[in-house]
Amino acid sequence: MTRTHSFCKRLMGTVLWGMILSILILTMIGAELAQAQPEDPPSPQGPAPPITHTLVGRSNCLICHATGFGDAAANPPDHVDYTNDVCEDCHEAAPGTTPPSPWSDLAPDALPQRIEHPPTEGKNSCVDCHLVLGETHTEISEQWQESVHGQSDVGCVECHGGDARTDEMNLSMDPASGFIGVPTRADIPHVCGSCHADVEEMRQYNLPTDQYVKYIESVHGVRLQTFKDVNVAVCTDCHGTHDVKKASDPTAAVYPLNVPELCASCHADPEYMASYNIPIDQFDIYKTSVHGRALLEDQDVRAPSCASCHGSHAAQPPDSEEVVNVCGKCHTATEAYYKESRHSRIGENAPKCWTCHGTHDVIKPDESMFLHEEPTEQECTTCHVDENTFRMDKARFANPEDRRCDTCHHENSMIMVQVQAILDALIAADASYTLAEETIQEAATRGMIVSDAENQLAQARTSLISARAAVHTTKLPMISQLTEDAIASAQEAYSIAHNRLRENEMRRLAMIIAVVVILINMLAFYALKRELYSQLD
Amino acid sequence: MSEQSLQQKPGLFMRAYDWLDERYQVRQLVNALLHVYIPRNAKTYYLGGVTMFLFIVQVITGSLLVLYYQPTPDTAYDSVLRITSTVYFGWLIRSIHAWGANFMIIFCMLHMLRVFIQGAYKPPREVTWNAGVILLLMTLAFGFTGYLLPWDQRAYWATVVGSESAGAIPVVGEQLLLFLRGGVDVTSATLTRFFGLHTIFLPVGLALLLGFHLVLIHQQGLANPDRPSTDIDDREFRKKSKTLPFFPHYAVSELIAWYAIIGLLIVLASIFPMGLEEEANPLETPPHIKPEWYFLALYQLLKLVPRTLGIIAPLLAVLALFFLPYLDRNKAIAPRKRRFAMSMMIATLAGLIIFTIWGWLS
Repeated sequence: MTRTHSFCKRLMGTVLWGMILSILILTMIGAELAQAQPEDPPSPQGPAPPITHTLVGRSNCLICHATGFGDAAANPPDHVDYTNDVCEDCHEAAPGTTPPSPWSDLAPDALPQRIEHPPTEGKNSCVDCHLVLGETHTEISEQWQESVHGQSDVGCVECHGGDARTDEMNLSMDPASGFIGVPTRADIPHVCGSCHADVEEMRQYNLPTDQYVKYIESVHGVRLQTFKDVNVAVCTDCHGTHDVKKASDPTAAVYPLNVPELCASCHADPEYMASYNIPIDQFDIYKTSVHGRALLEDQDVRAPSCASCHGSHAAQPPDSEEVVNVCGKCHTATEAYYKESRHSRIGENAPKCWTCHGTHDVIKPDESMFLHEEPTEQECTTCHVDENTFRMDKARFANPEDRRCDTCHHENSMIMVQVQAILDALIAADASYTLAEETIQEAATRGMIVSDAENQLAQARTSLISARAAVHTTKLPMISQLTEDAIASAQEAYSIAHNRLRENEMRRLAMIIAVVVILINMLAFYALKRELYSQLD
Repeated sequence: MSEQSLQQKPGLFMRAYDWLDERYQVRQLVNALLHVYIPRNAKTYYLGGVTMFLFIVQVITGSLLVLYYQPTPDTAYDSVLRITSTVYFGWLIRSIHAWGANFMIIFCMLHMLRVFIQGAYKPPREVTWNAGVILLLMTLAFGFTGYLLPWDQRAYWATVVGSESAGAIPVVGEQLLLFLRGGVDVTSATLTRFFGLHTIFLPVGLALLLGFHLVLIHQQGLANPDRPSTDIDDREFRKKSKTLPFFPHYAVSELIAWYAIIGLLIVLASIFPMGLEEEANPLETPPHIKPEWYFLALYQLLKLVPRTLGIIAPLLAVLALFFLPYLDRNKAIAPRKRRFAMSMMIATLAGLIIFTIWGWLS
């Protein structure tokens, strides 16, 4: 009994001490937690008052409420440590203070209307204030001043709305004055289009007005409008926001030389493009192409950038059928030749420009593009689905090595006999041209005047280029005629240059004779001199 | 008539000489001109004589070129092309003329350098030096005016850039530019103006001044590098120093030098004949326009310093060169006793060479 009593006492004592210890530990943990967690922003005097003004364009509450600037209420003393990001945790915007987008009811085929705002009367109070606010405010104000808009007196209110006449912020940035603050990405095409699609407005600047419509119909515009995908390119991504420059300004991102890099800033970004399931290596491929090298290395603005084939505002991947027209914009003569060919008459399955030249990876064409180095192993079904139907599988031409005539044409076919004849004619013309060019070069190096030979060579070059372009007709007689012209001109050029080289050799021979005669004279006079001087002493 | 008397009969040349002498006393004139004595220790290195010879070469080749050259923008280029490619030995004449021009400038400079190092510009030869400086400037003017005449791209644009430099001269620059170009731009007026200067004014002017330069040398005799003075007090010194007859002794050496030069010109003209670039096109500025090598130092200076300074500094340098005999009061002749003058010369030469190479590489 005593033992039982004693056990109970010990048990109770242990439990009591355990409870006391637990309370102590929990109290300590509670105190620690209370210290680690920030105090909730309580409102000791009841619920937080609502925000009675628009939040549009006003992300920095403290700039006014920290000190009670103007009509703004000063923060109570217990708000002293609060930052801008906690204000809206307690204070809610009063209903009706955030207006809807001015273009929320815009019909799909309508042009965006201008932002309605009071007349500026030549003032721009926005810049007057923002220029001195420092940091981003000053930066964007200065950017605007130097931009094409700033230089043309297109003020802030044209894109942001508001009343530019007053420096009273509540009035100048009042939604009642059309103030929309920072336009959403979805609204940006409307903001820009509200002026740039306006024929009357743009006439004075001699600018086109079709960019808005083109954009809305482009792959970017459709995704933005239909799928509400705000990650697609909008006007400001390419042209800038406050720092808009003319497209002819070499420092502008949209200057032709800068366009590939601009497109690549999104299209070569694997993370950004992950959800679109489109390739991201076009820029790397384009850089090494004949087009990319001409534009990016030689700085030749005539060379095509991404926009030349895909369009800029109307950006779309060109359809297979459109490719001939797209390439033909620059390669007009080649396009005309192609349209004469049997290839062009085959229809949908016809080989197009990309079939032989590729797309982003176009290289300088030469005679190696005719045949595989080793004969290809082909079966009927390689090219034919059935007896009369061609198979034009794009994947077969993905590898540049397979963009050859014998990829499609069987080596024992009649067509291949013609292909071989065309190839032979071109090789012969090229050989004549190269020989003439090298001979002229050698004669020029020796200081001979070879302008007449160069004129002949230029003719040969014209004929050779025409012959190569005429390959697109696939007509042997036409190509042969041009290669014969090229060979005749090249041989004439070679003949002139060769004669100059012979003349040069004659000159050198004559020079040696003249020098020998001079040396003999010099020796004779030297002998005379020695005799004269010997008599002197 | 005996055989002996037949042998003693003077030759045709001497008989003609005697015939002229009887009437015009030519012998006296020739003796005065040729039969002078020069100090045997005078080291001329034949530089002045070679420069004069090159002028003669230029006059002969230039006279031949002018038979075919047509000084209008429409025909100049084609006529030079014709001279170089069709006319018999036209390429040789034109190439010798072009190489000769470069040689003339080089030898003119070397001659001046030799005179400077030997102190031969010092009294009493101040005016001879002055005439020499003007001769150098005229030679450079020959180069500048002749460079335009082929009317190819290099010629045209080098003249545009070169004449623009003249426009930077304060006060008179604008007028000088208009005077040089015969208008605001380089046009047919410039071409005829440069042609006239190159073929009439400069050759006549240079020939007259060269004659004057030679008369002065003839009157004073060649400077003795040990003691170049002609003072009366120095007659004893002159008598004691060994001399050499100018003719035929010195003249034979000079002739060998001339032969060497003409041989060199023929070799250079044959191996590196003068080419021709594209015809001048005032609407297409070629990249990397550079003047001829003798203006490269000035060209590089103009790129580095403000234009006015880049023009004024060389002008002052030329003035200093012209008045050198009056500015340099040091009577010493030996280079080792003229340390300041030698240092200045080395600094100037180094500057010219560095700026020329810099301009060439830039």
